[in-house]
Amino acid sequence: MASAITAEQLSKTFHVKVRDPGLSGALRALVRPRYRDVQAVRGVTFRIEPGEIVAFLGPNGAGKTTTLKMLAGLLYPSSGRVQVAGFEPWSGGSDFKRRIALVLGNRQQLVWDLPPEETFQLNRAIYDIAEADYTDRVAELVALLALGDVLDKPVRQLSLGERMKCELAAALLHRPPILFLDEPTLGLDVTAQEAIRRFLTEYRDRHGATVLLTSHYMQDVTALASRVLIINRGRLLYDGALDALVARIARTKRLELVLGDGVTAETLAAFGEVRSFRFPNAVLEVPREDAAATSARLLAAVPVADLSIEDPPIEDVIRQAFAEGAAEDDR
Amino acid sequence: MSRMAAARAWARRYAALVRNAWLVDLQYRAAIALWLLWGVSEPAIALGIWWTIAGDGQVAGYARADFARYFFAVMLINQLTIAWDSWYLDRWIREGELNFRLARPLDPVHEAVADNIAYKTRTAGMILVVWLAVALVWPAVRLPVEPGRWALTGLAVLCAAAMRFFISFTTGLLAFWTTRATAIMELHAGVSLFLAGRIAPLALLPPAVAGVAGVLWFRYMLAFPVDLLTGAVHGADQLLRGFAGQVVWLACWFGAYRLAWTRGLRRYGAVGG
Repeated sequence: MASAITAEQLSKTFHVKVRDPGLSGALRALVRPRYRDVQAVRGVTFRIEPGEIVAFLGPNGAGKTTTLKMLAGLLYPSSGRVQVAGFEPWSGGSDFKRRIALVLGNRQQLVWDLPPEETFQLNRAIYDIAEADYTDRVAELVALLALGDVLDKPVRQLSLGERMKCELAAALLHRPPILFLDEPTLGLDVTAQEAIRRFLTEYRDRHGATVLLTSHYMQDVTALASRVLIINRGRLLYDGALDALVARIARTKRLELVLGDGVTAETLAAFGEVRSFRFPNAVLEVPREDAAATSARLLAAVPVADLSIEDPPIEDVIRQAFAEGAAEDDR
Repeated sequence: MSRMAAARAWARRYAALVRNAWLVDLQYRAAIALWLLWGVSEPAIALGIWWTIAGDGQVAGYARADFARYFFAVMLINQLTIAWDSWYLDRWIREGELNFRLARPLDPVHEAVADNIAYKTRTAGMILVVWLAVALVWPAVRLPVEPGRWALTGLAVLCAAAMRFFISFTTGLLAFWTTRATAIMELHAGVSLFLAGRIAPLALLPPAVAGVAGVLWFRYMLAFPVDLLTGAVHGADQLLRGFAGQVVWLACWFGAYRLAWTRGLRRYGAVGG
């Protein structure tokens, strides 16, 4: 089976105007404009198979959204090759656009002054969806996203979470096999974030859709994605499963302890680095390969009511991956 | 898809777009009233001034009743042909609202055309009612019922509306390159106040200025259809020249729109949104 998304040596260089601060800078820019090339994406290569949910991670300005826009056909790559659903995005025309959905977290397609249902109706006409299909799909999306009582309220009266759910529903009415989601949970509360995650998984399972999403929330990544692409300064640093990344990057394990009477931080320090100590709870960080042996020594030497061995928080792992990539870049 | 099915799909798309534009309008009834007031007041003020100047005599062949018919026609035809698209386009481009429009299988120009249809039918419809009401009590603003004249005016209004749409849309597309696209449109609106015949019939302008209006597109975007409706276009020669001017400038502005759109998209693709 052909890949849903293929990017080969994808690069994007922006030609941006630079200006010194102040009035004199503005005048100089007017008389003699200066330009600088900014490499937003550099030689990125990956494949995504049908039905995969892949998270695109990176700090602000890493090149995630630029890559997403190239895949959706909004931006022309400076070099490289892209295929999405068998099309070259920027020349795929309507046939290509019917196969994708692009949801940008901070830009909405819902008509602000009208109830979401009006945007649904508009999309029904734009995508030429048959009446019966439309009714079925709206019913399905309403049920999956619990939209029952918001469809007839003007969008401006909806909460951020309700708006994002409606935004997703509007974008999925034509049932695209490929979804590009840029920060779909941005600014949402925990309940709304969970609802969106549940929905995306359910939608993928039902329709075999391929999802590529960017997010700043690690919960999105751990709950949704079987695979992550880590990008920083336009370069792909990692492509693979999240736990494999943890095993590669995280050089330590955390021993989470519930201590017995009389154990102090000083006692624990002999076994590893004490990350936190609030009696009776303590967290000890030890080299990954020593975790089992250290645990055994600890259990034998000090009274411990409970002990669990954990990986470091995923945020720390990702931060370390960015830092290592940046250091490699600077060399 | 057969040709019939494709035509039906397009009709459904336009119906949905126009319907949405009307629904949005209905949310802003006060704004509609203000726009209507604006649409009526500019020609009404111009009429007041010329009414006083003309007194019991004539100015360049225009008596008071001629001015009254002229400015009522301006009121209606300006609303039928005016286009605000440069303001929308500027916002779409600068604030990233173009992104989702580019990601769906509908050229954004269709949304703009549908918005124009919605706006024009609504506002011009109301002005037509105002005109008919005034005509009941004021014979000066009545026009003879001549189907030929109305049909030709309809054609000229269509050409003028299309031309003004492409002027506005193309100017809005300049937002791909500059942050001053709407300022350029303001400048154009200022010039058209004189050259398109919004504050005086072109016959009253100095011949050199009227000549410029006739060589450029300004006359064809408003004054020509107004003159047609008020019976100021005489003979086949004037008629043909008027329509030829409209067709030529419409073609030019359509060409400019296509050029700005394809180049602009390429630039957008190059510098991002």
